[in-house]
Amino acid sequence: MSAESASAAVVQILGGVLLAPLLPGLVQHWKARLQGRRGPSPVQPYRELRRLWSKSAIDVEGATLVYRVAPSVAAAALVAAVALVPAASSAPDLGVGHSMLALGGLLALARFALGAAAWDTENGFALMGASRDLTLAVFVEATLVLSLAVAALAAGTTDLAGIIAGTSGTAAWTSPGLALGAVGFALVVVAETGRQPFDNPDTHLELTMIHEGPVLEYGGRDLALLHWSAAARHWIVLVLAAQVFAPHAESPWLQLALLPVVLVVLAAALALTETLVAKMRILLAPRLLAVGAAAGLLGVLTRLVDIA
Amino acid sequence: MTGALLVVGLALIAAGSGLSAGRRTFTTGLGVQAVGASLAAVAGFAVFASGGDLGAVFTSALEPRLGVDPLTGYFLGVLGVVAAPATVFAARYLVPDARGRVTAALTGVFVLVLALVLCARDPLTFLAGWELMTLVPAAIILVGRHDRAARDAVYAYIAITHLMGVGTWIAVLLLADAGAFGGGGGLEAGSTTQIAIACAAIVGMGTKAGLVPLHAWLPRAHPIAPGHVSALMSGVMIKIGIYGLVRVLVEWLGETPDWIGVVVLAAGAVSAVVGVVYAIFQHELKRLLAFHSIENVGIIVLGLGACLVLRGQGEEQWAALALAAALLHTLNHAVFKSLLFLGAGAFERAAGSLEIDRLGGLLGRMPWTGGAFLVGAMAIAGLPPLNGFASEWLTLQVLLAVPANAGVGAGLAGTVALGALAATAALAALCFVKVVGLVLLGRPRRGRVATAVDAPLPMRGAVAFLAVACVALGILPGLLTGPLAGLAPWPVDDAPTRALEVPWSDALPTPGIFLFLVLGTALLVAARGRRRAAPVPTWACGQLVEPELGWTSAGFTKPLRLVLEGALRPQREITSSVRGGVLQEVRYEGHVPHLFDSAVYRPVTRVGLAAARHARRLQSGSLTAYVAYLVALVLLLLAAVRTGVIG
Repeated sequence: MSAESASAAVVQILGGVLLAPLLPGLVQHWKARLQGRRGPSPVQPYRELRRLWSKSAIDVEGATLVYRVAPSVAAAALVAAVALVPAASSAPDLGVGHSMLALGGLLALARFALGAAAWDTENGFALMGASRDLTLAVFVEATLVLSLAVAALAAGTTDLAGIIAGTSGTAAWTSPGLALGAVGFALVVVAETGRQPFDNPDTHLELTMIHEGPVLEYGGRDLALLHWSAAARHWIVLVLAAQVFAPHAESPWLQLALLPVVLVVLAAALALTETLVAKMRILLAPRLLAVGAAAGLLGVLTRLVDIA
Repeated sequence: MTGALLVVGLALIAAGSGLSAGRRTFTTGLGVQAVGASLAAVAGFAVFASGGDLGAVFTSALEPRLGVDPLTGYFLGVLGVVAAPATVFAARYLVPDARGRVTAALTGVFVLVLALVLCARDPLTFLAGWELMTLVPAAIILVGRHDRAARDAVYAYIAITHLMGVGTWIAVLLLADAGAFGGGGGLEAGSTTQIAIACAAIVGMGTKAGLVPLHAWLPRAHPIAPGHVSALMSGVMIKIGIYGLVRVLVEWLGETPDWIGVVVLAAGAVSAVVGVVYAIFQHELKRLLAFHSIENVGIIVLGLGACLVLRGQGEEQWAALALAAALLHTLNHAVFKSLLFLGAGAFERAAGSLEIDRLGGLLGRMPWTGGAFLVGAMAIAGLPPLNGFASEWLTLQVLLAVPANAGVGAGLAGTVALGALAATAALAALCFVKVVGLVLLGRPRRGRVATAVDAPLPMRGAVAFLAVACVALGILPGLLTGPLAGLAPWPVDDAPTRALEVPWSDALPTPGIFLFLVLGTALLVAARGRRRAAPVPTWACGQLVEPELGWTSAGFTKPLRLVLEGALRPQREITSSVRGGVLQEVRYEGHVPHLFDSAVYRPVTRVGLAAARHARRLQSGSLTAYVAYLVALVLLLLAAVRTGVIG
């Protein structure tokens, strides 16, 4: 393995597994600053993970194995997704490949596990969150595939490492396709990270939450796994945004070196949208996501017209 | 050798069918049927793997001939893989009274008829098998039930499949006329005959496959059949429609105009989305599963559409891969759908009803059947590392190849289909979270469910076998895709591998994903440890959790219903009764009507009936009038011959 691909693998695994909690920490920190509060330190998620890991898990009366295994299944699916999404174009195959079309399946597995666990506890608020999450996921998944399709067509491959290489430099930006794909993907980022206008990560008011709903019954190490999964979801979509839908360098070394900078900028952008945008009525959110899907479709269309 | 195996297998099914009609030999008979089906499956897959032919080859002449080629072999394999567990399941599922014995015997006949269509090598045998394939399950349904609802459903089933099935006759007879039954012939690309055959086949065989809007019979007929027959109908019978489409569109017609491929893509996308959306709002488990069959046939047909479009572009390697995607999903759907229908049959036996709001907690009560059902639900939801994920992934790949290789129109169709398939997968996940939650998890929602016990060994074994097949096909789908792509009637260089591979230097390492997920989960479960606090009741804002607080199917799907309100037109009715100025009771009723029934089928039936009323006037009952009709007809024919219109 060359030095390039080894370091890409190290960044991908260390970043995805260990540094991921820093991303939501940074967003919360800056959001507080933007709102004129002092807010928690960026490393607050690590403190919470340590606290939760030292507590015992909680069993709900009458719940089966599905409830107990669901957090581990969700976290394992996210670990696989972290291994799947390359940090740079030189990233090696870590055993799960780099297929962009498999990403949706892994995220869906995590969602399925939590939805099933919500039914297992029969907690009304968990079910409310799960049903909303799964409804939004219909539109998120279509937007995800269509916006990635733009990049895949520009790069001529569905292999994510190949896509990063194919969309690097300036050549890919000569046609408006990739920019339209970026519009769609931006909405996917906001939806998958559970942020406004789709969801409000700060709310613990049972009636309004989406992603916080299905985790309501969990405690201790189970909850720690679920918090880590949410952080890993930040890492996955933000790395894709940085290395595919933002202009990036051709050399893998430069890609790796600039990745932290772009991630920090993107986290700041998330904090800014959180501050500026109000939460949307849940039933209107699919329309916004449909706009993202339409942008992806237009992106493909511009490419088709370019060729024809 | 293989031929002998197949003949022995089919003979055993016939013998078992006869045996199972007897009171003493009922169980033995079904067992013999299962052995026969297994042998037929082995023989079928052997022919598929060897790539050779057995028996006769296709002929356009009207003389009965039978034979097996690799495509037939593959579908015989699919048939056997479903029929063997289904007949084992039936041995304890059916009660050996008069009705049960006739059903068991007819099950064997049904399997043989399906094999007959697959092995037919001439138009006559094919059409005969095709019609019997419709009639035998109708007979089985009527043996089991003769209430009015079942009779109406069977009537609608036969009416729709026969009226639209005319398309199959037209396609097959035109093919025979052109000498192209079996390929070859003088069909020019883009000629009127070729297009007529393609359209007739899409209508006729699409009806049998359950494509929207020709699907209305499917959610009527499948739920009322006995569990193991539903499994055969959804798992195999509708796939015979796919078999016909592959034969005609891909194999025999040669290159068709682009728009035919786009029409097939559109039919697939519409079927997939409509099927899964209506499935979500069903309250009866087997009806829900029937709607999912429409969805999955849509996914298969998406692969076929991509195959036709890509071949039109000269991308033969991709086109072969698209065919492989369609055929792989055919097998995968046969496996997980028959698993789900058999599971539903077992639940119905144990709990007395399949109203999904009134089950619950069956994973604890029936761990074997419930566990297998959970695997099937995850497979149909397209979740890794199971088989549904593998074939949906491959279908997404080939759909993405359409805009990469085709022009603006077809490319746009392919992209829309790509988005539709992604949304379909997410909708299926939503639906099966609901099903798993309401059927398997939580507390029993009704007294009888709480005392349910797991099914007897043969039934458990049948569903467990299919669950193992779901996992195995999810780990090693790559073993099949090479030979499946080789079924394309044009030369392809196939490279069978462990992982799924596509030309874009991109592969899906299914074994790696399986190991990653299984080991990852196991490690995390171990890391989490067993230490836990005492069980607590679930949080309901401090209230006691009463059964009345339990969520229902309608509640869970409400966000989606509201989002899609404009398209679905859900109906709501709230009646409140007030007595003496005091509100006594508020009743809420709501359901999502199947709009195709009211908007498409009802107007058509109305016009048809009105036309029949007018036509009835011809039937005056007077002999002179009939003689006049005959004379008029003879004169008309003579005039036609004279002017050279016919003859």
